[in-house]
Amino acid sequence: MRLITRQTALAAVGAVMLCGSLAFADAAEIRVLNWQGYGTDESFAVDAFAKKTGNTVVHDYFTSEQEMLTKLRTNPGAYDVVLVNSAFVKQAKDEGLIAKIDTSDMPNVKDLSPNLGKEPNLVVGGDTYGVAWTWGVTSLTVNKDKVSPLPTSLAVLWDPQYAGKVSIRDDGIEAIQFAALATGQDINDPKDLDAIKAKLKALMPQVKAFWGSENDWNQFFSAGDFYVSTYWSGGAGRSIAKGLPLKFIVPTEGAVGWLDSLAIPTASKNQAAARAFINYMIDPEFYVQWAAKGSPMSANAKAAAALPDTSFNKVTLGDPAVVARVHFVKPLSEDTRKKYLELWQDMKARQ
Amino acid sequence: MAFATRTDAARAGGMLTPAYVWLAAAIFLPLSAMLFFSMLSAAPFVSSDWRFTTANYAAFFSRSLYPYLLARSLGLSAIVTALCVLIGYPCAYVLARQIRGRSREALFLLIILPFWSNSLVRIFSWAIVLRGNGFLEVAINAVLPFPVSLSLMFSFTAIVIGLVHSYLPYVVLTSYLALQAIDDSLVEAARSLGAPFRTILWRILLPLSLPGLVAGAVLIFVPVAGSFMEARILGGRAGTLYGTVIEDQFVAVFNWPLGAALSFILLAVVFVILGVASPVLRRAR
Amino acid sequence: MNMPSASGVVGRVYVGLVLFFLYAPILVMALMSFNASEFYQLPFHFTLEWYRRLSGNEQILRAAARSLWIAVATTIFATTIGTMAAIALFRYEFPGKRVLQAMLFPPIAIPWLITGTSMLVFFFWVGIGRGTPAVILGHVALALPYVIVVVAARLETFDIQLEEAARSLGASPWRVTWAVTLPWIASGVVAGALFAFAVSFDQFVVSYFLAQPGDATLPVVIYTSIRKGFTPEINAISTIIIVISMAVMLEASRRFRFGGEQR
Repeated sequence: MRLITRQTALAAVGAVMLCGSLAFADAAEIRVLNWQGYGTDESFAVDAFAKKTGNTVVHDYFTSEQEMLTKLRTNPGAYDVVLVNSAFVKQAKDEGLIAKIDTSDMPNVKDLSPNLGKEPNLVVGGDTYGVAWTWGVTSLTVNKDKVSPLPTSLAVLWDPQYAGKVSIRDDGIEAIQFAALATGQDINDPKDLDAIKAKLKALMPQVKAFWGSENDWNQFFSAGDFYVSTYWSGGAGRSIAKGLPLKFIVPTEGAVGWLDSLAIPTASKNQAAARAFINYMIDPEFYVQWAAKGSPMSANAKAAAALPDTSFNKVTLGDPAVVARVHFVKPLSEDTRKKYLELWQDMKARQ
Repeated sequence: MAFATRTDAARAGGMLTPAYVWLAAAIFLPLSAMLFFSMLSAAPFVSSDWRFTTANYAAFFSRSLYPYLLARSLGLSAIVTALCVLIGYPCAYVLARQIRGRSREALFLLIILPFWSNSLVRIFSWAIVLRGNGFLEVAINAVLPFPVSLSLMFSFTAIVIGLVHSYLPYVVLTSYLALQAIDDSLVEAARSLGAPFRTILWRILLPLSLPGLVAGAVLIFVPVAGSFMEARILGGRAGTLYGTVIEDQFVAVFNWPLGAALSFILLAVVFVILGVASPVLRRAR
Repeated sequence: MNMPSASGVVGRVYVGLVLFFLYAPILVMALMSFNASEFYQLPFHFTLEWYRRLSGNEQILRAAARSLWIAVATTIFATTIGTMAAIALFRYEFPGKRVLQAMLFPPIAIPWLITGTSMLVFFFWVGIGRGTPAVILGHVALALPYVIVVVAARLETFDIQLEEAARSLGASPWRVTWAVTLPWIASGVVAGALFAFAVSFDQFVVSYFLAQPGDATLPVVIYTSIRKGFTPEINAISTIIIVISMAVMLEASRRFRFGGEQR
């Protein structure tokens, strides 16, 4: 009786697989690899794109950049569009994971802000490997009901008044970058690691908990677990839209800037459809609707200009003086990454 | 019963083969690949210049952080296992030997049910209970006449609570199965000879149900040593354990060889611990 | 067994307390599915909004259904071959038995992250790739050690002489298994099945790496949504699952006995 049960089960599995593969046979389907809830999987966007081009969009997600690389490495041909942070584009390109993108059939590309669209990590020797999509900053956030007057400097993270009410992201590289900002060093190449270590050591007693995701951040913030923290501008926009009393500040020392791009994996079989999707993603029509829900800033200057004047992104990141204080992240060598991780692990473990 | 005949051997083979072939194909071969990686300087499908090295294993000894965290994780395992046994065994005892009838099965299944809830959601629910202005604080303040501010979140205690909660049903389940199989007449006989409860427990129940208890304890001790979810979410600054640094090698950097080496060291240590403990337990029987 | 009723009461109260501890976060989880705060904050305001949104959330519903049938398939495979293996390990002595028993530990000891990643790499290299068969392959492999350990623990309390007696009366080993061994260890087999189901239903890593894009299971959807933030819709689906499981379990306990022959 058991053997029959197993055979029946196997037959059932086989039948379902067959049905599944048949369903995909006729539609042009593109597969997108991205963070969950990060723009490309907005239902209005997927529907609008399907209506425009007839292509359906299926998503797969990752929860860290390393996982994104792992999925690309072990799944050639499985994805058509992938989100690659600009600091990782060089690595992905050198490994042959992402392909050169022919932007001639993508009308929105010419509207990209020149410094972002032609960013040397994304456009190498005239060839585009990543289409600049969104950018934002990781900077200071305070609970405006609990912290006054509003601080203008990163020093508030070290302010003993807020001991036990500080939270930073559980990311060694980011922690080191903020310590670098606080000690006036270059975030991409800090020379004085001892100063950074000292700064981080002084920060540890201030920290109640580390946040690792927007989920953590929102819950801890609402529960009053911290008043001062570092946070992404896109997340801040979303959280403000949901009614949380936070103020996003770009302090005098500056903030950490990042640029996300959309790329096409080399083995993708739907490159034309993928290009159409990416073109739609940098379209002002898509962007304005997305930004209303909370999003990072678009790399498309036209799309950014199309935002309403009261929108969070325009208010926070529209001022050129503010933008001048943003230090953009550059690629890190794997060895440096490992070194930073070890530093961070040591810092966290020996409290 | 040894292999009396060749057909016996064939039968044993037939019964063992499906499970072990499955394990071999899906776990051991992949793990061997990992073992292979652990002895390389870089994962071969990433960088083409890799070579054999014991540096990853040596790293465990050269960097004091790793042994420190391993000890911390094993300590956590011991505490969680001990708590689960102390809480779970009496519970299994009551269920197996004191409660009768249909309600017993129902209670037993109720104890197993939390297993089926998603662990991530469960851990976050603990966060809601334990944090400031969480359920625990609100409940206590409702009862006590003076205001109390209580937050257990972001501490080693919170990690322990989360883990004990997740793993308690293991030991209840296995102990229940063992206790329930003990022949009533043994206990009746001891009772009629005037033995006090303590003796019955120590000389009859415990020895006979020890296999179940030990199975449960092992199913708890072993995974907790490598756990990282509860630590990351509930532990705050106290949340760095051996499992979290292994996870870092896969999500924060691309250092699979080191992550693999650290895991195999964990496995080896666990084997040693179990190997040392088993003769002790055997004698107890 | 004649126990004085005082300790009987103490026993029941104790079990009650343990149940309360076990269900505290479950109750909180269920409560929060009815709470208006999307950040899980008190004070409590009742709403059915999350259930309403859940009914329209195809992604979660499809993932839950997928998790369910994968778990059922895993349970059937794992319980079947796991029980067979456990019986064989119990019944026979042979060189290498210790090794086979020791082989059950690595899957439990090594963090699932490592095992899942190594499966990903190995399956890719060997050509099995991704997809539902790969997921089930992985789930059953992870559940097997638990089934074998639990059934083996139950077998330890089984008197092998019963088997030998039946053999000496002329029964074939197959019949012995069916008529003598299995009924005795039935509760262990059921327990193993429950474990296998739990392992599969909550399994995140293997599904994360091995499922086809778009074919996510519930734990994967939950885990990946952490980036943007959970919403109580997740609580809603979890509550529904728990309530249904409870109903199924209680109904099953009414029909089947898991106790031994003695009572």
